[in-house]
Order: sequence, then C-alpha cells, then structure tokens
Amino acid sequence: MSANTALAEKYRNNFLKEIEEQVEMGDWVKMCMQCGVCSGSCPTNFQSAWEHPPQELFMMIRAGKREEVLTTTSMWNCTSCYNCIVRCPRKLPITHIMHGIAEYAHRIGKAPKMQATRFFSGLFWKNATKTGRVNELKLSMGLYFKDGFAQGVKNGMAMQSVALGLVKAGRLNVMELFGGHKCKDQKGIQAMLKKAYEIERSRKAAKMAG
Amino acid sequence: MADIKVAAYICKGCGLGERLDADALVKIAQKDGKVPLAKSHEFLCNADGVAMIKNDIANEGVTHIMIGACSRRAKTEAFFFPENAVARANLREGVIWIRPDTDEARETTQEMAEDYIRMGCAEVKAMTAPGGNTNTGTSKTLLVVGGGVTGMTTAIEASKTGYPVVLVEKTGALGGWAAKLYKRVPVHEPFKSPADTGVGDLVAQVLGDSNIKLYLNATVAKTDGAPGRFIVDIATESGATHTEDIGAIVQASGFTLYDMNKLPELGGGKSPNVVDQAGLEALAKAAAAGDGVIRRPSDNQPVKSVVFVQCAGQRDPSGTHLAYCSGVCCNTSIKQAMYFKDANPSVDTTIIYTDLRTPGNGEDFYRSAQEKGVIFTKGKVAQVVPNGATSTVKFHDLILDDTDAAVADVDLVVLATGQVANSGIDIFAAPKTEEEEAAVEVKPISILNLTYRQGKDVPQLKQGFTDSHFICFPYETRRTGIYTAGPVRRPMDIAQAREDATGAALKAIQALENAELGRAAHPRSGDLSFPKVRLEGCTQCKRCTVECPFGAIDEDEKRFPVFNESRCRRCGTCMGACPVRVISFENYSVNTVGAQIKAVDIPDEFSEKPRILILACENDAYPALDMAGMSRNEYSAYVRIIPIRCLGSVNTIWITDALNAGYDGVMLMGCKSGDEYQCHFVKGSELGRVRMSKIDDTLKTLNLESERVRDLEVAITDIERVPEMINKYAAELVAVGPSPFKGF
Amino acid sequence: MTEHVATNETILVVGGGISGMTAALEAAETGKNVVLVEKNPALGGRTSQLYRYFPKLCHPTCGLEINLRRLKGNPRVRVVTLAEVTGIEGSTGNYTASIKVKPRYVNESCTACGDCGRAVETMVDDPFNYNLGQHKAAFLPNAMAYPQRYVLDPAIIGTADADRAKAACKYGAIDLDMKEETIQVKAGAVVWATGWQPYDAAKIQPYGYGRFKNVITSVEFERLADIHGPTGGKILRPSDGKEAKNIAFIQCAGSRDENHLRHCSRICCMASLKQTHYVREKYPEDGKSTIYYIDIRAIDRFEDFYQKVQADPSVSFIKSKVAKVTEDEHGNPVCHGVDTEGYKRYTTPHDLVVLAVGMEPSVKGINIPGHIVADSSGFIEADPANGAVFGAGCASNALDVNRAVQSATAAALRAIQVVNKVAKAEA
Repeated sequence: MSANTALAEKYRNNFLKEIEEQVEMGDWVKMCMQCGVCSGSCPTNFQSAWEHPPQELFMMIRAGKREEVLTTTSMWNCTSCYNCIVRCPRKLPITHIMHGIAEYAHRIGKAPKMQATRFFSGLFWKNATKTGRVNELKLSMGLYFKDGFAQGVKNGMAMQSVALGLVKAGRLNVMELFGGHKCKDQKGIQAMLKKAYEIERSRKAAKMAG
Repeated sequence: MADIKVAAYICKGCGLGERLDADALVKIAQKDGKVPLAKSHEFLCNADGVAMIKNDIANEGVTHIMIGACSRRAKTEAFFFPENAVARANLREGVIWIRPDTDEARETTQEMAEDYIRMGCAEVKAMTAPGGNTNTGTSKTLLVVGGGVTGMTTAIEASKTGYPVVLVEKTGALGGWAAKLYKRVPVHEPFKSPADTGVGDLVAQVLGDSNIKLYLNATVAKTDGAPGRFIVDIATESGATHTEDIGAIVQASGFTLYDMNKLPELGGGKSPNVVDQAGLEALAKAAAAGDGVIRRPSDNQPVKSVVFVQCAGQRDPSGTHLAYCSGVCCNTSIKQAMYFKDANPSVDTTIIYTDLRTPGNGEDFYRSAQEKGVIFTKGKVAQVVPNGATSTVKFHDLILDDTDAAVADVDLVVLATGQVANSGIDIFAAPKTEEEEAAVEVKPISILNLTYRQGKDVPQLKQGFTDSHFICFPYETRRTGIYTAGPVRRPMDIAQAREDATGAALKAIQALENAELGRAAHPRSGDLSFPKVRLEGCTQCKRCTVECPFGAIDEDEKRFPVFNESRCRRCGTCMGACPVRVISFENYSVNTVGAQIKAVDIPDEFSEKPRILILACENDAYPALDMAGMSRNEYSAYVRIIPIRCLGSVNTIWITDALNAGYDGVMLMGCKSGDEYQCHFVKGSELGRVRMSKIDDTLKTLNLESERVRDLEVAITDIERVPEMINKYAAELVAVGPSPFKGF
Repeated sequence: MTEHVATNETILVVGGGISGMTAALEAAETGKNVVLVEKNPALGGRTSQLYRYFPKLCHPTCGLEINLRRLKGNPRVRVVTLAEVTGIEGSTGNYTASIKVKPRYVNESCTACGDCGRAVETMVDDPFNYNLGQHKAAFLPNAMAYPQRYVLDPAIIGTADADRAKAACKYGAIDLDMKEETIQVKAGAVVWATGWQPYDAAKIQPYGYGRFKNVITSVEFERLADIHGPTGGKILRPSDGKEAKNIAFIQCAGSRDENHLRHCSRICCMASLKQTHYVREKYPEDGKSTIYYIDIRAIDRFEDFYQKVQADPSVSFIKSKVAKVTEDEHGNPVCHGVDTEGYKRYTTPHDLVVLAVGMEPSVKGINIPGHIVADSSGFIEADPANGAVFGAGCASNALDVNRAVQSATAAALRAIQVVNKVAKAEA
C-alpha cells in the first residue's frame, strides 16, 4: 500500500464499512458520540489494560486506522460485565462490538497471537470441544506454559498451594493429565459442532451477499 | 391648575401604631405637610380603611392622597386609585422594619417616619394625576420590512389578528433566504429527515391576503413620526414613491452569509468545489430538479465524498472573523449531509466539528444522521487544499489528538459560514476617518431611513445584531414601536424566526394600540404621564435630544426639542439632563423630588444627627431596600430615601439643593451600567453616572468634600449589601464632619 | 388583580412562571382580559428560584419586579394561585376549564406583617429552596412573593399551631375553614405555560444523587448561591457545611441520553458556565470549577460567554461524560471517567458535584387536559389538532428564558387571534 492510498483511506468510510459488514453489531460503531462513558465505566479501568478504550476504538475505525485497531490487545480485555452497554447514552451494544472486533481480528489472523485472553479462549475451545468436557488440569497447564517452559514452571509453583488444596478436597485429579473424562456421546458433540460451524458460515456468507 | 385637595392617611397596623406615635404623624401632616385632611386608621388596607379613603374622594373632594403605611410595592390592590395623585410614605419596610425596637432607637425612628410623612405630603402636592397625552396617532397599519420567512410570518399573523399590513421587499420575489433552500430542518416528531420549507405556502398566504399590501423591488426611503403616526415613504424600482400611514414597524431584514472568500485557508473562493451552505442548497435544488444526484460544480461528476467544515469563520476569538456561533449551522450541515445519504447511502459524508450544537429535539436529528451513516468527527479544520477536482481537508483530530489528520480526495467541501445581520447603519459607531471610510468595501445602506435625530436605523446591540439586551424582555428595542425580528435580531433558524415573527407582530400591535391611548410601552407599560417641556425656558442645549435612550426627541429648525410622546418610555433621562429644568412629568418632576428633599427636617449641626439623602432606582435599589426591611436588616436612621424612575432622571439640582439644605451626604443607587448594563432604560444609569461624575465641580464651588456624594451600583439582591453600604457611608460621614450648610 | 368575569373572549393562561406571566401581561397590555392560573402560592416560577441569569449575570428578580409592577397596575389580569387546571372542555373560542384551587388559609386581609409566622412553631421543608432548608409552617413563599400574602401549610391545620397563627393575626386574615374548591372558568383560548421540572437526578444511579450529600443538582446550586437561599448565599456543602471551593459540574445529567431524556435540554451548558462564575464570585482566591461535558452548547451569541469562561484559569473543561461518582473517606465526591480528548483516565476528588440536570416538561403532553399533540419528550407541538390551546415557553420546548419569553409572546398573539375572532362574531 503506497503512502498516498494510505492517506486516501484515512477518514474515509472504507474501514468503517468493513467493520459494519464483518463484525457482529459493527453497524453500531457510527452511532458513538464520543462521550467516553463506556471507557470510564469499564471495571478494568486501568490505563494499561486498554491501550485504546472502546470509544477511542470507534473513532479509530472511523479514522481508518485498520492495522492499529485489529492488532491491538484492547478489546480482548472485555470481561462482558455489560456496564458500558447499560450506561451508553446512545445504547450501543459495546460489549458485543468489542467481542465482534476481537473475533474478526482473530478470524483474519490480525489478533496478537499471545494475547492472554485470545490464547485462553483458543485453548478452552479446543479443550472443551475435543471431549465435550473441560479438562481443567490440562487447561491450566496449557495456560501456565503459554510463555515457555521456564515461565510455566514458575507459574505452576506460584499456584502450588491452591492446587494441593484442590487435590485434597477432591476437586482436582492428577490422573486427568493422562486422558481425562469425556462426555457420553463424543461423536455426537463433534457432529453438533460441525453443523454449528456450517450454519455460522452460511449466515456470514448471506450477510456478505447483503 | 385645577383645585386640589390633599388628604393624608396614617396606618397604625403591622406594628406601626406601637412603634410610632401616629397622632404625632397626623399632626406633622397637618402642620408641616399642610394637608387639610389627615387621619389615622387602625388597619388602612382593609376594606374599611379603603372605604374611608374612597368616601373622602367622593364626598370630601379629595384629589391627592398621601398614604403613610407600607411600601409602595405592597398592598397595591387596596391602594389602587388610578384617578388620583397618590404618594406613599414607606413607614413599614422603610422605617420600623429597618430599625431596632428599642427605647434608644425610638426617637430617631419617629423622626424618620415624620420626615417621610413630610416628604409624602410635599410630593403629592407637586403631582397631578396623569391626564393622558393628546398628541397620539391612530394608524393601525403595520409596516413589515423584509419579505422572507420572518417578514411574511409577521404579516400573516398580524393580518390574522385583524390589522392591515404593508409589506416591503427589496427583491422582486418573496421568500428570502428560505426560498433558496431545498429543504429545512424538521420541527415535528420524529425529527428524522429534512422537511419541506413551507415557503410556497407562506407566499401563497401573503399573496392571497387582501389585508396585506405588498411592495416588491421596494425599499423604505423615509420613516418619519412616531408609533401610531409614522409616515413612511416607500421607493419602488420604477422611481415612484408611495407614502403610507403606519402605526408600528417590524424590521425583518434577515441576514447574509459570512463571505467565504474571506476564508482562503479553508479553500473559500479557491475552487468551485468548495461551497458555502447556500452553494450546497443550490446544488441540492439543481439535483432535485434533475436526476437527484448532487454533482461537483467543476466537472459535473457525481459527488462521492463530501466534508462539512463547521464553524467556518465563526467562533473566532482572534477578531478576524465572526466571534459568535450562529447556532443553526450544525443542524443545517446535518440536514445537508442527509441530502446525500438519503439519495445514495454510499456517499462518504463527514462533518468535522468542535462542539456539535443540536439543542432540543435536534438531538434526534443528529442521531438520525448517524443512523444514516453520516460520520461526525470532532476536530478543528486547519486547511482545505483544493487540488484539481478534489480537495484535501487537513485537521486536528481532537479525539485521537492527531494534529496531522486529513481527508483526501474529497469531491466537495461545504463551509458552514455564519449569519451576518442585515441591520443597516450602525448609528452609534465611532465616526470613521476618510481613509477608513474608503477601506470599507460595502457601505451599509440604511434599512429604515428614520428621520430621527439620533440616526437612521435601529441601534445595534452587539456584533451587528439589533437584539434586546434584556433576557426577560427580548423585544425591547431602543426605538419604541419598531421591533426587529428574525436573524437580524439574533442568529436563528426558520422555526425560531417564525416564533420571533409572531411575537414581534404582537408587540407591534400592542405598540400602536397603546400609542393611540397615550400609554407608555415597556418597562413603564401603561404609564399615562409624558414629558412636558416649557420651551420658553429652553436654551437649545440639545442634551435631551442627544441623551434620550430611545431617540424620542427630535429637533426643530431652531434646535428646540420636539418631543414625540409615543416614542417616549417615561424614564426621565431628559428631565435629568436638562440644565434649565424645563422638562417634567405630571407625576414625576424636578419639583416632586425637589419638594421632598426640601421637606426633610434638617437638625442643626450640634444635634449629631446627620442626614443622608438616598435617591434609589425604583426597580432594583428600592426593592432591595424593601426586602432588606422584610429581612429586618437594619440600617441607619439618618437616611431619607426617595425612589426615582432611573438614575438617568436625576437632575443635579437635586444634589445641590440637598447639599445646600444641609444634608451631610447623598447616595445615588442605580443599576449596573457599561457593556453588561442592567438599567431597564438602557443608557439611563450610565448617563446619570456621567452627569454625576461632574458633580465634583459643583462640590468645589460649594466648598464641599467629594465624599458628600456617593454613586453606587445596586442590584435587587443586595438586601444585605445595601444596609452595609448605608451604615459604612454614615460612619464615613461622621469622619468628614457635619455639612457646613446646616442651619442656613 | 381584579375579579373580572371570564367569558369566551378571555384568555386563560396556565402557569405563572416567566412564560405565563409574559403571555398574560402581553395579552392584557394589548387590551385582553386574562385569567392567570398558578399552581404555587406565588407567581414567578422557576426563574424566580435562580440566582443569576446567563449571559448577563443579572438577577431574575429584577425582571420579576418589572413584571409584577406591570401586573399590579393592570386590572385586566386576574390571578388565581394554588390552582391547577384539571380539565378543559369545549373547542376553539369556547372553552370551559375546571380549576382546582387549594386552600391558602389566608385571605386578602393579610398584610404580610409576619405575626403568624412568628407565632407558629412547626417547621416544614421549603420547596422554594428545593427543600434544602426549612421554613415556618406559616410563611411568605419568598421575598418577592406575589400575591404578597402568607400561606399556612396544610400540615398544621387542625393543630394548635394553626390556632396560634389565627390568634396572632390582628387582621382576621387567617381562615382555617377554607376548603379546596373547583371553579369553572370560561375562555376563548388557552396558553399552556406550565414550564419544566428538573429531571430526577436519583434516576442516574452512578452519580449518587440521594446517596451522597455532596452531590447536588444545578437548580439546588442556584439556591446555595442566592442570598435568599438556605445558606444566605454562601456556597457550603450539605454534608458538613464546609466551604465548597472545588466544584465539579457534570453536564448532560439526564439529557442526550436514551436511558433518560432523549433531547438536549439546551440550557445546561450555559447554566454551568454561569455557575462557575458563582464559584469565582464567592471564592475569588481559590475557587475552582471543572466542567465535564460532551459538547459545550453555548449557542449563538452565548459563545462570547463561553470564551470568557474558557479564558479563566480557575475553570477547566474535560470532554467526558463522567462514568460514576464515589465518595472518599473525607466525604468528598470523586469523579471517575475518561477524558476522551486524547484518552486520559481521571479519578478526581471535588468538594461538591453539581449535576446539570435536564429539563422535562412539568406536565407531560399526555397529562395535559384535552387531547394535546406533544412530542416524545412531552413538549407540546404546534399542531392544528390542539385547537386554541397554545404551548408556550418550556411546556413547548427546552428553552432558555429569552426564548421562552419570545415563545410566550407569540402564544399570546395566537390566543388574541382567537378571541378577536370571537369578539368579531359576537359584535
């Protein structure tokens, strides 16, 4: 992309249109009036968590800052508390838009690979859909070792007492690491998920087709 | 003068009977006040007391009434004698409520009351009940200048009320600015889309109304006279002049868009593809007449992207462009952006603003634009750079704090420039030098061509608008019977202009009706008194004609003042200005106040009882003093207070008389003057102050200290401050020492 | 002020605030008979509860004084206080209104001497001061009250206090047997000028109004600044009476919000800009104001005023809708949110938070007797279906005083047009 085309796209509606088409509830982005109550009401209200708070993301979308929006970790911090939705004077479904943008960034491979929420979500999904049951031990281990072996050991050590407590209380089975429990109809689950993916794909295709 | 019979009534209610010696007051009225009839009553404002007064009027031939009771602001229904001259001695709020109920205070409190009785008797004797002015006009026709939405609305509404109208329009067609619009901002639920302008309907109503006489291609060549009897010459294109008898005038001369050529940095005048809001309306109209596609002026290509630059040449604190906001451009740009979006949602429309101003249901209109995909960007546009058929709009994105933000390849840029009032000549502008005169590109042309001594047009308030300065009274122009309405008065949209036009029609109708009855307009509405002048004594000094805040007084060929009573607001500024004291009102004159000043009993210099005269504006200072009494905020028993119509009506003779009589000091209490004046006679308090600033010379000739006269700004809320000021001043005067004039 | 008989050439004006008074006076000064109905015991309405007006910073009571003087001298206006219109029957040129009149327990003989007030012991909330203070149960509604007559609070009727009041009055002005009555008034046209009420700030839960004493509304702040107010014009915070020098103004408290009021109330930006002046006036050395806003709507010539306040170093502007208010251990309200100009988070304690509450019609469209067309916020629209019932002032739109008076003047003419037609038909 040349500098000229980059400029030409700035503050034009190209990226906004892309968001409106690709992102769930993305057509609400244009309704923001930049009051900032969403950013202020967010309980994860520490500056570092949100490189760009929701209302700023909306402005960046309008400004055509595609790369910055899709690669930021910001919207991955949303905890779905719905405070922003409740407060928004324009009734924007901000929580859903955040998830929508995150999902879109992930879908087109722009999302930051090692962002904890994204990583966890992926891990959880794989973990849960494989057997139809969540294997908590594997899930925790996967998350602990996200940033390498040494860090994983450190994380594990830090949580040692919690883990022992859980084992004692019978809430954690070390044997889960080798296989673990499954749901009764594992094939049925896979078939169900396959169907769900199909429905999702056709819905998106239909939306693209207008 | 007809025979007068004065009666004095002293009330003993509300504690007056206990705190004061009412019998002594009756005697004072008889002896010092020299009234033939003086009575006290237990409860004067009740039915029995009022009946007693009415009986005396009917059977005793009483013509003049002095009531010693509560403030003139209280019990007005009971003491309502419109046929008689009435004076009120304020013994309650002005005496017993501001004095402590102690034995030590009893003597000075009684003295205070006695003086007020003396003053009341003296005042009422110097008054006559206003008999009404006979020099009235009877024309019931309204002149409306300007055939835009405001003017047409005024004409239609006045006609509906039953008054004939003469409507003068400078161009060859009715409709004005609104006729140039494709659509207007909506005024009904759901406030979502541009609406029809309604201009066609208004034009049809005007043309179909036999009560409205229309002059097109016409201007007002001359306006002579006064409310009820204006004589207006209307010049038409053909060179003919028509003369009309007019009762009252509404000036609805509208506005001109601020010239975008003054904004070259925003591309104004640099490219055909940079237009102002009028330019866009023309493009939209052309599109509507054709295939509905708004096209780029330079090459007729469909507009695919448009940027609206808000506040272009407005809200400029540097003084180069308009300092104000026009209040309508945000909604207008929203409407214009919808022209594009409604026709083709894929057109990129961006509005760059700093504060989006869509009051009331405009918020729904704003929301609707967002729903339609209009993009709002909070930013400050620095530059519009045309380049071939497109432009680049460079701006500071205030949300992302990006100073280098830009929209490139924009097909059309719309500059939201503001409204500039078509208010004619600024009659109070400082005279220009010849060089400055030559530098002015477009010389203002008078709208009304008034023959008034003070100038040809209605005075402007600020920034060229002919607005009223009063928040509570938006229709107060400084030319009685001439009202301005619509954007010439204040920046406004069609909806507000139509309301304004309707209100102005009422005021004009009211003005001509009251002119016929010889009654004053606001703020002394209904007052039947009017200035009388004894021309034999006049020295043609012209002070009255120059100073009248309402331009009511002209000059004849010998430079004698010519009073136009129906232009007069009864403030008395002329009376205050007159050095030879030949101007007076029947119920308010140099004498009615002077007699009160002289009636006060001045104790000798050894008594250690100073006397301070307070002349207090009846609208603000006097109520503040009253309410100080209601709150029992005490002040010195040495003051004697006289309400005055306005500081502007204070004649310096009152001050010299007071000082000569042995008063130790004089306090003048008037409203705030200057740019943010609060004087309801506009310039009254300011003129009064200018006059009093020269009192030092008088004091010098009398060999008196300058502290003897104090000019104070008092507001109606100063219920604590005023007593403090009085007490402080009384204390200061002790230091200055007694007046050397006592006992002469 | 007189008791002229209402006919179908009479104009009924409902609401005795500045719009209603204006409509009544303008019509009367054009020679029409008017019945002016006011719900409260005194005229003046909400503007009489303001300390100063923007942009001139003059006092509303100054204009009220003029309007009252116009009224006192004009026999064409008949004033009915403590009265509410409960029904309007009939059609253009021929209406009959039912008016419910509450007992005042004080008759025309009252001289406003104040003896009853001194005799009574019970204290009741003072609505003129938005209940920030109390007054005696026998009271003059305010210093400018017209009619200048005392009122007995119904709470003391039947108690010894009422008897004390009656005994104290030397003028037979107290009548404890007064009863609520309904009167019928004929009118050719009706001007509906019932004004506005501040949006209920307690509904904006995160701002803590009602939970934190030091979060107050803009209308209450006016009373704190006013010499006739509960603090005698000192800006003291409610929790501990401490001087409130560092004040936050939160704009759009209710307005421009689909969860509360959809519309922009127009006046609140200017009102807060004006109120920063109060802070400066009372604390010239160390007063400090912070305005949290979305857009500053200093519309048209008010821009001047905004620019002057902007130039004042004691006032800061933060483009942000405050997310929430909390209270710290010192009782200071703390504003939390994000400054959207460049993304800056803030957590800022203030001495006092003033919510610039929105304006909603006192009587919503659907509650106006007769079938009146109103917009979704309840403001009366100009619609032929309304017959000769004309909205004026803030009953018709969110307006500032100047525009309300303009609207009332226009409404007066519309009413005059109707009664003139009636007069012509009858002649």
